[in-house]
Amino acid sequence: MKGKHHIIIQNRRVKFEFDIKRNITIVRGDSATGKTTLVSMVDTYDRLGSDSGIDISCDKRCLTLNNSNWEAVLDSVKDSIIFIDEENTVVKTDAFAKKIRITDNYYVIITRENLPNLPYSVEEIYGIHRSGKYADMKQTYNSFYRLYTSDERINRASARFH
Amino acid sequence: MLKIIFGDTQNAVYHPPTYFDNTYEDEWITDPLSVEMIKDIDGSEVISPRVIDSPVLGSISVKELSGGVKTLMLMQFDDSGKIFNASACGDNCAKWIVRISRHKDLTINLHHIMNFDDCEDFSAVIVNTGKTVNSSKEYVDEAFRIEER
Repeated sequence: MKGKHHIIIQNRRVKFEFDIKRNITIVRGDSATGKTTLVSMVDTYDRLGSDSGIDISCDKRCLTLNNSNWEAVLDSVKDSIIFIDEENTVVKTDAFAKKIRITDNYYVIITRENLPNLPYSVEEIYGIHRSGKYADMKQTYNSFYRLYTSDERINRASARFH
Repeated sequence: MLKIIFGDTQNAVYHPPTYFDNTYEDEWITDPLSVEMIKDIDGSEVISPRVIDSPVLGSISVKELSGGVKTLMLMQFDDSGKIFNASACGDNCAKWIVRISRHKDLTINLHHIMNFDDCEDFSAVIVNTGKTVNSSKEYVDEAFRIEER
């Protein structure tokens, strides 16, 4: 799987809209910004489809995995976008890092931890931002914002050591 | 007193929100401290022990509160002796962790370097090294020395 994928996930109350550009995207940030809600909506839609009342617009299948089914999911799923919530410690393991290297999926991982086993860019670490764009009284609009740029990261690191 | 353990440790709960969902008591929700934390972190109003009014999701159950606020309530009310992973909390929970630790001995577990910059009179014991830090800068410097984090 290559290139950028535009994703809209929404129900009547909340809408998430963002682009995924690399095979690993990290989402972190303050509590109560909707990270778990996002993953829960993906999981529910993958199980129930449009009967869930959730709508997902994306050119690839979106699904989730967890600590108990991750190997089976990675063995069987191709060309998809896989969301992983922060409760899943498997993302820290060498086995997971080794396995995803031979898959062609994209991964959106919710975590505040550094994952040294995984090759991701600081430019692909995002927070979720609630904005007024497209929002009305019934539905809040949420998009991703980049938490760091390479320059900021370098400046921060050098400031700590001077 | 706040004590911080970086990395894995015995008796720690890695994902406190799930532990909360299965152990919380109704009276935790209506405690004035919880009401204040739920308002500050989630922007939500406690209507009753089993109903929360969320500006985003509408009328929700306690289980739909944020992971951060659930973890804070465990730190305040749970008496099992468990150590809760504060990496389930965003930086917007840091001031509440410090506030809870002013009234009780609180040991937390971290798997990342939480930002305590906005917390007044911050001090903590870093259990991994035994060092007491008295500012967020000292805390960051000490945290960077710890391999387990």
